[in-house]
Amino acid sequence: MKAHATPSANSQMSGQTGVLARFGIYIALGVAVIQTVYPLLWVLFGSLKDNQQLFANPWGLPTSLYFENYVQAWKIAGLGTRLMNSIIVTVAALTTIVLVSTPCAYAVARLKFPGRNALLLLIVAAMLVPPQITAIPLFITARDMGLINSRIGVAIIMAATSIPLSVFILRSFFLGLPAELEDAARMDGAGRFAILFRVMLPLARPGIALVVIYQFIDVWNEFFLAFLLLRRPEVQTIPMGLVAFFQEFDSLWTLYFAALVITTLPVIIVFLLMQRHFISGLTAGAVKG
Amino acid sequence: MIKTASRKRPQGSIADAGFGLLLCLPAIVLLGLFVVWPFAYGFWISLHAWDGFSKMTWNGGANYLRLFRDRIFLIAIENNVIFLVLTLVLKNVLGIALALLLNGVARGRAFVRAVTFIPVTMSFVAVGLLWSWVYNPVFGLLNEGLDVFGLGALKRSWLGDANIAIYSIVAVEVWKWVGFHAVLYLAGLQTIPADYLEAAKLDGANAWHRLVRITLPLLSPIIFINVILGVSGAFVRNFDIVYVLTKGGPNHSTEVVLTAMIAEAFQNTSMGYAAAMGYALFLIVGLVSIGLIALMRARRVAL
Repeated sequence: MKAHATPSANSQMSGQTGVLARFGIYIALGVAVIQTVYPLLWVLFGSLKDNQQLFANPWGLPTSLYFENYVQAWKIAGLGTRLMNSIIVTVAALTTIVLVSTPCAYAVARLKFPGRNALLLLIVAAMLVPPQITAIPLFITARDMGLINSRIGVAIIMAATSIPLSVFILRSFFLGLPAELEDAARMDGAGRFAILFRVMLPLARPGIALVVIYQFIDVWNEFFLAFLLLRRPEVQTIPMGLVAFFQEFDSLWTLYFAALVITTLPVIIVFLLMQRHFISGLTAGAVKG
Repeated sequence: MIKTASRKRPQGSIADAGFGLLLCLPAIVLLGLFVVWPFAYGFWISLHAWDGFSKMTWNGGANYLRLFRDRIFLIAIENNVIFLVLTLVLKNVLGIALALLLNGVARGRAFVRAVTFIPVTMSFVAVGLLWSWVYNPVFGLLNEGLDVFGLGALKRSWLGDANIAIYSIVAVEVWKWVGFHAVLYLAGLQTIPADYLEAAKLDGANAWHRLVRITLPLLSPIIFINVILGVSGAFVRNFDIVYVLTKGGPNHSTEVVLTAMIAEAFQNTSMGYAAAMGYALFLIVGLVSIGLIALMRARRVAL
């Protein structure tokens, strides 16, 4: 965020804040960090202990590293299959979201066509009707279309429910692009498709990236629709696999910890690497909107 | 930036009917099939007695009337309200508090902000499983921690005690989202000009007055966004966390409308009644949202 650079309240305030007050603030922030991180570290430590160590010393660091948990958890929880399923669903859903939302967002932002206002109204209204509310008819509809237990089917349904927000975000990106570029291309004799694909899409890339990052987290972590529509174990995604593993086997704590680390750590690492983009995208939307 | 230098085109100024419709066709088809159609079809289903397979039998509004006498549904509504009020207050108060703390320091801000945002990126399932171990009565982190601090008397079966289980779930929901709300509030705080606060300080306003009279009113658009996000989160996105932590138990004490609805549909195979629950939920969320928007509008005019 550019807010770091602006001479707003922060720098001056912290300059005038007393040493004691600043000490208090850091203590409070320390508490915030510890209450977030400690449970996460606890899972990581637990995943490296054997059962005996876990119960003898539930709090502390592992005394020896027991990587066997990871091998066992991977096998017993069937994480290989689940990971594959999650990748299939996520890739299919994200592709659909981008391919369907981007052209529509451009059209809604730039073109005049009959029914455009009705479509905008529908998009806003659809954001207020999350799929949880229509779970029952959605299940029946998917069943009648033969989409139960279909990973691609579920991906398309997830995409459909994500289209309103995606179009909305992308539309504001297209609205912000300068009109001259489009006019110049048109005067050079560029056709409609050329303008869209050669001129507008490259400029809208930051918007597309924002949509992809957000929908990735959403789709990758999605549980409700997967729970509703993927009933057979061999097509289930990671979140469902975790729940099943937890419920089918009793008290394999160290293995649960390992499975949780395997499935959660990659996303946390991706987030930490991209967190600046992530957070600035989020705040730009909120502060402007 | 280019944006300010160049002319902004008013929305939709190029008349191109065929091309516009063509570009939107896939979106219209998907929205029609999986958003609009289920919404309409669900209402039709909710007016019938139906097991999902045999012929539907029209029963008028009987499903809706049944809601008022259904003990589990009423518990679920009560829990949704508890969940809504508590998560809304706690997420926003703690979110603002964390944002104010972050705004007060320069060093370490990005680090703390990133760390407290980590739970936001985790799935409800992962968060739920993590906390079911924190709450574990035998070797869970929370009870062990109370022992260490000499507070053993407070030890509980956090998810097994019907009187407190719903509050334990609320705590998890708040834990997951505080970092998210803090990020939004921090961005809002950084748009407040320092002069305002300086001027107030010179006029002798203390820190509390500056917060209540200047900072919070100027934050009201951000508060509005956070509240609306919180409302839909509390009503509609709480299935995962409840399902993973308690499945609505013990003895339905943590049932929310969505868990009751899914149980009705797939354990009791009464699709019509379950669909009616979905509609009732939609109606309540809609009314609460409209009420809040009206309230915030009125407040903002008054400010």
